[in-house]
Amino acid sequence: MRDIFFDLSVRSVKLNFLRSLLASIGIVIGVVAISAMGMLGTNMQLSVKDQLSSDVNTIMITSDVVRTTSTAGVPVTQQGIDKSTLNDIRNGAGQNDVIPIHRTSTQFTIGSTDGRGSIYGLDPNDVPKFLTVQDGTIPKGGSDVLVGSTIASNFNMNIGSRIKIGPSTQTDRPTVRVAGILAARGMASDGVNTDNAIIAPDTWYTDTYGDKDVYDQVNVIMGDITKINDTEASIDDKVNRRTEVVRITDASSRLASISSTLGTITTFILAIGSISLVVAAVSIFNVMMMSVNERIQEIGILLSIGTEKGEVRKMFLYEAAILGAIGAAVGGVMTLVIGYSVVNAMIGSTAYFFRPESIIFVPEGMVIGMVVCIASGLYPAWRASNMDPIDALRSD
Amino acid sequence: MATTPLIRLSGVTKTYHLESGDFTALDNVSLEINEGDFVAIMGPSGSGKSTMMNQLGILDVPTSGELRIDGRNVADMTALERTHIRRDVIGYIFQKFYLIPLLSAYENVEYPLILKHKKRDESGRATAMLQAVGFDEAMSAHRPSQLSGGQQQRVAIARALVNDPKILLCDEPTGNLDRKTGLAIMDILCSLNKEGRTVILVTHDPKIAEYAERTIQLEDGRVISS
Repeated sequence: MRDIFFDLSVRSVKLNFLRSLLASIGIVIGVVAISAMGMLGTNMQLSVKDQLSSDVNTIMITSDVVRTTSTAGVPVTQQGIDKSTLNDIRNGAGQNDVIPIHRTSTQFTIGSTDGRGSIYGLDPNDVPKFLTVQDGTIPKGGSDVLVGSTIASNFNMNIGSRIKIGPSTQTDRPTVRVAGILAARGMASDGVNTDNAIIAPDTWYTDTYGDKDVYDQVNVIMGDITKINDTEASIDDKVNRRTEVVRITDASSRLASISSTLGTITTFILAIGSISLVVAAVSIFNVMMMSVNERIQEIGILLSIGTEKGEVRKMFLYEAAILGAIGAAVGGVMTLVIGYSVVNAMIGSTAYFFRPESIIFVPEGMVIGMVVCIASGLYPAWRASNMDPIDALRSD
Repeated sequence: MATTPLIRLSGVTKTYHLESGDFTALDNVSLEINEGDFVAIMGPSGSGKSTMMNQLGILDVPTSGELRIDGRNVADMTALERTHIRRDVIGYIFQKFYLIPLLSAYENVEYPLILKHKKRDESGRATAMLQAVGFDEAMSAHRPSQLSGGQQQRVAIARALVNDPKILLCDEPTGNLDRKTGLAIMDILCSLNKEGRTVILVTHDPKIAEYAERTIQLEDGRVISS
């Protein structure tokens, strides 16, 4: 048999059904906002983490001097990682694979369409160590290149397509031929983002851009990931002994940095979502105050015939909890629908939507909605319980 | 050996602090009411009848003086103890009935039992009390708004009696009823008094006051006859 104070609260909610419904809708919006926003942020984090974590075994070494890009045929004048430094890196890296990388950004033309992207210069023997060719073959030299999946798809490239490298205003542009198309890498944590890039043999790159024996980046692919810190220290000791020549980072630190940034973004969007919950709290507070003010005489009756203050408080807190429970339940269901749609629209994948880290936002949002509702009812309940029964009985 | 009076007022004064100045509603009132008495409190408007009822019903405490109910000084009780006295020792019958509008007649009568025992009534006492005032099961399911004035007052009487209180405080119990219904209600109060219940009623109607064994006359907050 139910608590009579709960029954009184249920009947009060039913008596003022429309008002209660509108107040609950506020909570629904609040729960959906914080839960869906939280899920969106978490799905973003999970998506990026999964993309980056495939390259966590890679140490990235870049020159401490910022290099500027050059146009085709114009040599780079700034200092990169030179041959001597590369040898020091090889010594520090021990048995692990060391991959020197040339990189710049360039304009290009395919047929009559102009585009822009990165161009990498790699030793063809290094390509299979960290890149996957989806279609075609790895060029062994000459002017054959690999292209990333995005660039291939955007420009309808096939094996054998030809690309003119350099701005369209330039005369005598070098032309390369597509020998293979790479599998999509997404946002790679090893700094080699090939999806929108052209990967040329290092000999072609240095013949075109100069820069022989000067590298923009050197990657070290670890055989045993547990030794990554020791290897970093060893390279640092060999290369940066006197002055800071190169900057050494690994994917895990980059991943941590990106995760931290995404965490901040998630917190920010959650804060925006929680504004709607604050508005809902004001609405619930208003409804509860109206309920108390409309029932002053009833409160006077209850107090005068021996109802304890705590029991009166309980009655109004039940009412706030009922509004919260309705709002939270509907909000939870709607979060699944709206959150799914938002994540799909914003991230393009719902692969992470039902992961525990993501789905936990539904019960969390519901609990927060309930807590907000009950907190909004605290003052009205306190006010009701502390009324003077004589004054309350006299009110009409 | 002299018995302890159920209610004893010794020099009770109640002063309200208003913006226009202090107003003394009860002025040094002393009286005793014994168990089983049937007392009517009469007086013109503003004589202090309602203030007296609030004091006897311990909805309020005296500004000075001493009010003892069942031997205990009201001023020494905590707020919770006063609440429990209102629940267990005193039954209230109001002129405007003051039933809880969201509860049925049965639930209104059951309510004080729930307050006392912290659970729904399974003893059948609420039903018995309603039957005693002429309510059948179908009528008991009605909300107060579906009942006539006389029916509401019967429910109020059943509610007041359900916890078997020693004192029945009635504030103009027939004030909102037609004459015939009012007389029926007074017959119920008389029979309750004959069963040993202490009945205190406030009225301005001398014919109603005639039912009481004793009449206390108030004027300007003072007892002029008792």
